Amino acid sequence: MITYIARRLLFLPVVLIGVTLMIFVAMSFLSPYQLVSTYIKSPEELKNQSLDDLVRKYGLDQPVHVRYVNWMRNLFRGDLGYSVSANMPVAEAIARRFPATVELALFAIVPVILGGIWLGTISAKHYNRPLDHLSRTFAIVGWSLPDFVFGLILLMVFYGVLGWFPPGRLSMWADSIVLTGDFTRYTGLNTVDALLNGRPDIFWDAVRHLIAPVMTLAYLWWAYLLRITRSSMLEVMNKDYVRTARAKGLTEQVVMGRHVRRNALIPVATVSGSMVLGLLGGVVIVETVFDYKGLGLLTATGAQQLDYTLVLGTTLFYGLLLVLINLVVDVLYAVIDPRVRLE
Amino acid sequence: MTIPNTGEILLDVQGLRKYFPITKGIFRRTVGHVKAVENVSFQVRKGETLGVVGESGCGKTTMGLSIMHLIQPSQGTIRLHTDGGWTEVNAQSIRRLRDKMQIVFQDPFSSLDPRMRIRDIVAEPLQAHGMKNRRQRYEQVEKLLDAVGLGSHHMNRFPHEFSGGQRQRIGIARALSLNPSLVVCDEPVSALDVSVQAQVLNLLHDLQEEFGLTYLFIAHDLSVVQHISDRVAVMYLGRIVEMGEVDSLFSRPKHPYTEALLSAIPDPDPDVVGEQIILQGDVPSPANPPPGCHFHPRCLYAQERCRQEIPELLDIDGQGHFAACHYTQELSLTGVSAGETA
Repeated sequence: MITYIARRLLFLPVVLIGVTLMIFVAMSFLSPYQLVSTYIKSPEELKNQSLDDLVRKYGLDQPVHVRYVNWMRNLFRGDLGYSVSANMPVAEAIARRFPATVELALFAIVPVILGGIWLGTISAKHYNRPLDHLSRTFAIVGWSLPDFVFGLILLMVFYGVLGWFPPGRLSMWADSIVLTGDFTRYTGLNTVDALLNGRPDIFWDAVRHLIAPVMTLAYLWWAYLLRITRSSMLEVMNKDYVRTARAKGLTEQVVMGRHVRRNALIPVATVSGSMVLGLLGGVVIVETVFDYKGLGLLTATGAQQLDYTLVLGTTLFYGLLLVLINLVVDVLYAVIDPRVRLE
Repeated sequence: MTIPNTGEILLDVQGLRKYFPITKGIFRRTVGHVKAVENVSFQVRKGETLGVVGESGCGKTTMGLSIMHLIQPSQGTIRLHTDGGWTEVNAQSIRRLRDKMQIVFQDPFSSLDPRMRIRDIVAEPLQAHGMKNRRQRYEQVEKLLDAVGLGSHHMNRFPHEFSGGQRQRIGIARALSLNPSLVVCDEPVSALDVSVQAQVLNLLHDLQEEFGLTYLFIAHDLSVVQHISDRVAVMYLGRIVEMGEVDSLFSRPKHPYTEALLSAIPDPDPDVVGEQIILQGDVPSPANPPPGCHFHPRCLYAQERCRQEIPELLDIDGQGHFAACHYTQELSLTGVSAGETA
């Protein structure tokens, strides 16, 4: 197991070099003038210096491979560059935004997984009967409904009409408390920090802001998990060992829970892993709709403004997440399925 | 059929039928039935082994599963003799009766839950039937594993760590965990290597003596059935066509189908040139069986009556040798001598 993990981690640099190379190659299709436009805030800046001066200043006249090596050299010194669009160093921008994304992911993953498995179990148990059709229809509607549409509906109803779940991460009053020195940021997760600081009012405020985006994400992903759970359970239900379980004289409930579902969850675990990965990478549309300042929104804004240092930094970060989470999923896989050996 | 001596009978099956509907079209209209088991009646005596043979698709496994109520029979009564007299086996009573009747499945590779340890696979029936103490359960599992030739060091392992023969031993231990009186063995050795087959058969035989078990032994291998059975029933297209004591049935078959089956047993003696009866044609579809005797299209001796009238299963010699053939008295059929195939 340890050797397996070590070997997988050795592979990590290869993946990271691969993704950053791809970004650099994509960037080489842009002219230096396009790239330098990021740095220009207003036409007045061009009065004292020419565009070519700026291109030289930021090293954009160098060939792609030289820029890549320079970027790498800075990376090893711990410098990811300065993001113009975020107005702060890239590393700092990621460090600030990532906790928000983690918080949303943590809150979303539980209802997504539990709800999806629950719906899938209902469907499988009532295979081709009304309850199956009902839960599948419900889930498919969520899958087909664009998340910006469903998100906007939620926003309209629960914020516009009812005023329950506002957009953003915190209300103004809570934000002002969080930003003072009295409030210690242990983790960067508002809910956790609020509890650690003994502020249940701020905790509740943070949760209030999370509910609508979590609902949007859950409704979107339920169909996916439902389908996997359903088909996997139907497959397992026809297995011989389920017949054996019945022959043992177990109640139908035990047969379903202990034998069918436990075995059916193996593929569900794999899918859940990639889902966590997707959530941690940031969910651009949901973050945009709810003005939730996470990693997805940061990257999307940066990409729109051709802020290539930021895009490179976040891509590198995603690559790191991808390899690590896939590793965790593979290790967990061996835990839940005794037949899997990590060699 | 009548029950000759009620005290001796353990399992009584009367008029058992299992039909699978064939549906067609978008409205899944039932257009016919596959008659997998058709009007089967027989009894199993306490302590005996009743072998059931037949070609694949003749309904022997369906019959075994129906008796165990692992599939719902379409018709018929199944009764089991328990301490309190006769109990009807039906959808309501079956869960209580699981400790009286158990089944060993054909495929040892797929019939064990891959995520469970052996000790839990074998202990689970004990738990379901009221043994609440975990330590007590595991002690019982140790005894059972010992009885089937496995050791306590196997308890914490998972099914995939075992060979086919070992897995079948686990399946047997699981079946015996509740100390049943009847064990349905559904082709328990057909998935195993020949060398392992003999070991498992001998184990089943020893366990029968040790625990006083009664077997309903389903197989397609005639040599296996001859080796282990006291009585044998031959099935063809969902019906029992012949049934009797093993020696009587093998040496003096009373049904042309049995004769044909017996002639196909390979003889280990190269000098014996047996006359093989090659059956013409395929087994007819059980969805659309031929009229009259189901065997007549392939029977060497078929006559006009066979094409119209379904023969009844009758006691031919008054000593419990049953056959379903109109002309069984007129025919002199060839069997195999005792021990020839063992």
